Amino acid sequence: MTKSLKINKSTEQGVLELLKYLLENKKVKAVFTLKKIEKKGAVAYSLIADVKDLQDAVPFYPLMPVNAGNLLSRFTLKGSPDELVAAVVKPCELRGFVELIKREQGSLENLLIISSTCGGVYPTKFGVDGTVEKNLSKYWDAVKKGEIPDGSRPTCRSCEEFAPYVADITVDMLGKNDLDKQCMMFLNTKKAEEIAKGFKGDFSDKQMDSKKLDKAREKRGIEKKKLFDEIDKKMNGIDGLIEIFGKCISCHGCSKVCPICYCVLCEFESSDSEYGPSNFETELRKRPGLRVPPGTLYFHLGRLTHISISCVACGACDDVCPSDIPVAMVFKKVSESVQKMFDYIPGKNVDEKIPLITFKKDEFKEFEG
Amino acid sequence: MSKLKGAIVAAKPSVEKTIIGMLEKSMKKGVFDAVIIPMRAPSGDSFAYVLVKDKSLLKDATPLPPTMFVQGAKAVSSVTRLGKGKIKIAAVMRPCEVRATVELAKLGQANLENMTIISMDCPGVLPSSDFLKYPEKNIKLFNEAAKKLDDKMMRPLCQICDKSSMVSGDLHIGTLGAKKDTFFLISNSTKGDDAANKLGINLKDNIDSWQTKVKTFSDEKKKKRKKAHKELKAKVGGIDNLVETFSHCINCHNCMRVCPVCICRLCYFDSDKVKHSAEDYLERAESKGSIRFLPDTTLFQMGRMMHMSISCVSCGACEDACSMSIPVGQIFSMIADETQALFDYVSGKNLDEPIPLVAYKEEELLEVEDSDD
Repeated sequence: MTKSLKINKSTEQGVLELLKYLLENKKVKAVFTLKKIEKKGAVAYSLIADVKDLQDAVPFYPLMPVNAGNLLSRFTLKGSPDELVAAVVKPCELRGFVELIKREQGSLENLLIISSTCGGVYPTKFGVDGTVEKNLSKYWDAVKKGEIPDGSRPTCRSCEEFAPYVADITVDMLGKNDLDKQCMMFLNTKKAEEIAKGFKGDFSDKQMDSKKLDKAREKRGIEKKKLFDEIDKKMNGIDGLIEIFGKCISCHGCSKVCPICYCVLCEFESSDSEYGPSNFETELRKRPGLRVPPGTLYFHLGRLTHISISCVACGACDDVCPSDIPVAMVFKKVSESVQKMFDYIPGKNVDEKIPLITFKKDEFKEFEG
Repeated sequence: MSKLKGAIVAAKPSVEKTIIGMLEKSMKKGVFDAVIIPMRAPSGDSFAYVLVKDKSLLKDATPLPPTMFVQGAKAVSSVTRLGKGKIKIAAVMRPCEVRATVELAKLGQANLENMTIISMDCPGVLPSSDFLKYPEKNIKLFNEAAKKLDDKMMRPLCQICDKSSMVSGDLHIGTLGAKKDTFFLISNSTKGDDAANKLGINLKDNIDSWQTKVKTFSDEKKKKRKKAHKELKAKVGGIDNLVETFSHCINCHNCMRVCPVCICRLCYFDSDKVKHSAEDYLERAESKGSIRFLPDTTLFQMGRMMHMSISCVSCGACEDACSMSIPVGQIFSMIADETQALFDYVSGKNLDEPIPLVAYKEEELLEVEDSDD
């Protein structure tokens, strides 16, 4: 039975109180969360060891400067912490991290994962020009009502996986109309129950209201259909893809920020993707001209093949693209159909293997000769 | 290095059309077998370098596109990095792209033996994010601005570029100081002389009016540059300001990936060297109260700066690619000026001049030696 913990403070304040309690009582060694850094107030993930520095923490700031799945992988890749560290992350960041764990790029060991039902985030660039700061109250109004905040990332607007799967603690946010007065957390694991013992709050056995989540899911579903229809019209075969990706400058920022793309050296940056002069000469005998450097679309198709089974549709790729290519929506659309084929939800369960490394004899009869 | 020689060429109906005509003619005569030149993408919203073998494609080429989506040096390097080919290629680029190509050749990342590089007086380029908002309208605006040498819409680095007519390739199209409906074809090498010769162009005209205009123009830009650097230094100078400036950086390393002279296949800052255990990170967090995670954002920028500022050509590709609008190109370019001045080096100016960091001179930099004795 899930335990619930109610605190009579705003949701963000309540979570901060708990984090403060955990740090002060040495129940965790540090807290990993979003924090305002520097004078101008850039928001970045930070590792906080001193309770004083918690005052600048903004755990639920509607921004994802970097997908925290990437960061938790970096944090644990070369060895997990010796003692517990609390990490506040968004559901898709957690799913990205779980997919990385399945690829042996990190571990949940000694992490206390706190996540929430998520209202989505704004495009990263709006964190630079002050737009996010200006829109904060509008954002929280929309979240309260379970609605889609105006101007949030397209992948967030159409996200139906806004409830975390493997979090130790789930914070109730989406559709919670009194989130500025009351904080409600659900302690999903023994680890969470153990650690919250002694904290001053209202413990009970309440469950998350699933009806309000269904309603929010419905709204997102409608938005998703609209966005998918739009991108579908554009994709439309190889010519459509050439149109979409024609302005790609091959910076590969999308792969660099992707929580699933974990290769230290991408295939498309390796010597395998380099061609000698004779290759070009051969190619020029076949066609009148070719784009150089070559392989612009090939890179995206390759990346799609590599990651679509695990894409968590966080939208980090969209945000980093200097050419404003709707790369995330293309990837989300294709990935959903790939994942459906294997009946797989990335990041749902740490113990469930990635379909591409599991062999099932009776699978895909439809492709047999 | 040969002294610049030039010819006055009739430019009808336009400079661009004449350049294309010359390229077609040189392909027909076998001067070149192929041409690397920017072309508008099928979707119309971007320009890309295309290696053209069939000269009928050239009619759609845009020798001077309004933006720089991919730095031309990357195009040349992708074709010749593994060695020279059998075919003779002409590459048409902007001066900063030529300079980056020259740096890449010095770094063993491009082979220019069978390559003839053609540059032209450059009015700058639009930031690609501006261009993408209204491609059609911006092409018109760019062409008008280019004619008037109005740089207000261009990349911030183009606005203070004092090397926009630098000739470091083989041939150069000079439009500054040219009479109406003409341009100067300027040769900088025997390869350039040879190509002009085969096209029946006699490089014996006086190019003084181009050189005078270039000098005036460049001097004006130098003044503007000095002023801009002073302002920028006040804003980003010192470690606190620098950390603040880069606080929005999300470590995507786009700047490094699009930089024409950042040549490492695997950047040090993406390598295993910068990956540590959770306990190492915690130790740092404990000693400072808290740390940004990932840490060392500014260190990456400074590391990259140390690695490439001697070769930086101030093209601004990094700034265009920055998704967080950090003035990274302006900062790098300012520092690069100082680094290069220290070694009396101008990146990409002369293929035969070795990069200072690989050339040892015994009497060099006495001023930084230990002066205790």
